[in-house]
Amino acid sequence: MAEGMGVGAAVRRREDERLLKGRGRFTGDIALVGMKDIALVRSPLAHARIRAIRVPPEHQGAVFTWADLAKGGVKPIRAVSGLPGFKISDQPPLADGKVRFVGEPVAACVGRTRAEAEDIAALVEIDFEELPVNADTLESARAPKSKIHDHWSDNLFLEADTVVGDIETIAASAPIKVSRQIRMARQCMVPLEGKGVVAVWERQAEQLTVHTSTQMPHIVRQGLAECLGVDQGLIRVIAPDVGGGFGWKGLLQAEEVIAAWLARALDHPVRWTEDRREHLVAAANAREHRYDITAYADATGRLLGLDARVLVDAGAYSAYPFSACLEVGQVGSILPGPYDFAHYRCHAVSVCTNKPPIVPYRGVARTGVCFAIEQIMDAIAGAVGREPHEVRLLNLVPPEKMPFVNVTKKHFDSGDYPESMRRAVAAIDLAGIRKRQKKGEADGRRIGLGLAIYCEQAGHGTAVYHGWGIPMVPGHELAQARITPDGGIEIRVGLQSHGQSMETTLAQVAHQVLGVDISKIKVVHGDTGLTPFSTGTWGSRAAVMGGGAVAAACKVLVERATKIGAHLLQAKPGDAKFENGFVRAGLGHVPLAEIARVWYRAPQLLPSDVDPGGLDVTAGYKPKSDQGTFSYASHAVVVAVDTETGAVEILDYVVVEDAGVMLNPMVVEGQVLGGIAQGIGTALYEEVPFDAEGQPLASTFADYLVPGFPEIPPIRIVHMTTPSPLTEFGQKGIGEGGAIAPPAAICNAINDALKPLGATLTDTPMSPKRVFAAIAAAVPPVGGPTNGRRVTPLGVHSHDDSLAAGNKP
Amino acid sequence: MKNLALGVNGKKIAASVEPRTHLGDFLREQQLLTATHLGCEHGVCGACTVLLDGRPVRSCITLAVACEGGQVTTLEGLVNDPVMIELREAFAAEHGLQCGFCTPGMLVSARDLVLRKPAADDRAVRIEMSGNLCRCTGYGGIVRAIRRVLDARKKTKT
Ligand code: FES
Ligand code: FES
Repeated sequence: MAEGMGVGAAVRRREDERLLKGRGRFTGDIALVGMKDIALVRSPLAHARIRAIRVPPEHQGAVFTWADLAKGGVKPIRAVSGLPGFKISDQPPLADGKVRFVGEPVAACVGRTRAEAEDIAALVEIDFEELPVNADTLESARAPKSKIHDHWSDNLFLEADTVVGDIETIAASAPIKVSRQIRMARQCMVPLEGKGVVAVWERQAEQLTVHTSTQMPHIVRQGLAECLGVDQGLIRVIAPDVGGGFGWKGLLQAEEVIAAWLARALDHPVRWTEDRREHLVAAANAREHRYDITAYADATGRLLGLDARVLVDAGAYSAYPFSACLEVGQVGSILPGPYDFAHYRCHAVSVCTNKPPIVPYRGVARTGVCFAIEQIMDAIAGAVGREPHEVRLLNLVPPEKMPFVNVTKKHFDSGDYPESMRRAVAAIDLAGIRKRQKKGEADGRRIGLGLAIYCEQAGHGTAVYHGWGIPMVPGHELAQARITPDGGIEIRVGLQSHGQSMETTLAQVAHQVLGVDISKIKVVHGDTGLTPFSTGTWGSRAAVMGGGAVAAACKVLVERATKIGAHLLQAKPGDAKFENGFVRAGLGHVPLAEIARVWYRAPQLLPSDVDPGGLDVTAGYKPKSDQGTFSYASHAVVVAVDTETGAVEILDYVVVEDAGVMLNPMVVEGQVLGGIAQGIGTALYEEVPFDAEGQPLASTFADYLVPGFPEIPPIRIVHMTTPSPLTEFGQKGIGEGGAIAPPAAICNAINDALKPLGATLTDTPMSPKRVFAAIAAAVPPVGGPTNGRRVTPLGVHSHDDSLAAGNKP
Repeated sequence: MKNLALGVNGKKIAASVEPRTHLGDFLREQQLLTATHLGCEHGVCGACTVLLDGRPVRSCITLAVACEGGQVTTLEGLVNDPVMIELREAFAAEHGLQCGFCTPGMLVSARDLVLRKPAADDRAVRIEMSGNLCRCTGYGGIVRAIRRVLDARKKTKT
């Protein structure tokens, strides 16, 4: 019976039936009697003082500002960090006297429908006194036009230095030195369902129920309680079906605080539904990193040292719970990638600007970091005249050194990084592509091959997070397992599944331990009223932590059931064993369902020393070390670049990944594919540009380009399986992985294609305009071809924004 | 408010709507048919796709009042549709959905494609489906699911 349903089986998803019939229940589908809609008046300016807010007399009572919330005891959102020098900022859910980005909520308007609420919002007048805007990262860091948080000395959340070894000595002696200035654009996460909240004060339960589209219901409850100044017991957070998150739903949102407060203050249910324009303009921003990076190597390409200065544009506020320190902290600690070298220096700065706060997006800093280091590895290869994969093979941590502690004290748990690179090179047919490049393409385009490799720390816990000093430190993951009176299984986890298929994969885990048919295993998640505490679904942690916790709880059930079963079989506990849903002793056996019947309905038959906790268990789990699992992957891509138009087409894409033991290979492949599609978006299409006044210039899907069917090529996935020695089944976290490497691999491929023209791209997105500009600005190498266009395109600015001190524009 | 008479999933409906109310809001808020999802309300993502007189339309940029006398079919109304039954099976087999938010629109568009272009190859499928965005799957599973239905139908025909 265990055959084909347990860990490792490509079981079909339990969640599909309802979703395929349109019977999912998303936040926006919830209709409650007497419910009213909220529309927000949002700031049209990026930086201004609020002189007055005028509400038309006929709408008094339907419009709420910070004054109302503050009077009602609401406190601002505050996401601190314990890292030295971190500057604290408060984010009032509705602006308190000052707005700091376009789209910041200023007033909440309540109407019978959203349309009516928007009508009211349109009548609210605000007098602003405009302040100088800090829209540019570098400028806000170096020569701010104004202070964004008045009590700060500058516009920097945090400066963090990581220094290992002696980079100065290496710099003085290394034969090879390569430098790059690299920029990853500001992006928007764009889950297809926007954020949504339905809040209601439940009179009988004396509890505020907040249905919200979140990845972390328990953390939202904690944050709401802090902001509303009430006990956590007064709040129940329910995440119903959630239409994708990718990080955007992994925070406490101002709108959640507003809706929760209004529901109680007005004593009727309220709903706020983020529309796409709000999403693109006022929220969900991510990435925006700038790197000034130098690598030192010996003449063979062996990496000796890495020196980097990095700016992360964190926007106006520190988002809860990850805080404005997370990305720079990650940059400093993971920039070295999967490579083995000894000398490292990184100065990383989290810059405050008049833009929406950034939130950790799938891959978090890893995508930017991989983009930087993998460009540098190609640069080294170019400088020493070797193939890029050869230089990587020279520097990757070899399998015989695993487990390995790297230059920044990351504990790589297992794997064969060089082998994944070799397989990727073979699968993409490097030799064949090189021949084809020599021959040239019939259509005149240039083709190029690009590689990238990364390792992804995932499912990391206390050991890593307590050092950040942020409002959330994951400890043991809890799961509850219960045998129902009819022999079914209920699994309850505080995680939230919004596409990750946990209703299926966690049932597979329970099946693996208990042997009960998967159709009889129900996974309950995403509801603080029904589940044990969890920090939620983020950081590729659910398979590792949730999988481990569910197994732990089920194992306790096995123990207890075995004892009862032995008694029923009149055997000694030591003579009975549990197997595939049965307790067996001698020739006899008793099914779990019978044991359940006895516990619930015939307790007179139980042994006298039975565990009084019965068949209902909460257990906690931590991996053997909570430094994280390290899944990894090599990506290899072939592109064709049209040098006349700058258009890039992906001709082939291979990923060789190692997720350890896969709970469900179909689900893992889905996560990898989906991640890669987002990574291709990062690489080629997606950007939220801002003008000098901090106005966002992409406010619809016509301006913000999310890749569709034609833009995503068929992708070939090759699996490697090195079980993690740290986790329950050997599984590794992989949910974010796909989104990490595509920008780096695609950039390297484009640069490979354009190498004969002397053109180099370093920034995302590598849009036709940027590709064309790079070609136009290129100086072809001596003896190289000259079929790149030699014109300066309109609207393209030169790239003069070095981060080196004294070298600012 | 305007009076509106139309068919929704085979039932005659008489309603009163504001002229500005789009069909998606009308279906979701007034008819409580929540299978139709709104992903952008810009007419770009396709999540809100329904059939109007048998042809796919984006309900977010179709005014409800413009459907006077028309027949609207949402995913709820296609539960027993034979092509939809095949598509559901194929989407589940090929992991054509993760969060499921884009799925109703995907299915309505895919059904139309299967009926209109039975000979479509994978490239054609990608182009035909380019009006529907999915942020989760990377599209591979959806293309395979549609392929599966097209191939199966070809076999049963020959
Ligand atoms: S909601 Fe209609 S196209 Fe996106
Ligand atoms: S499955 Fe989530 S948007 Fe398509």
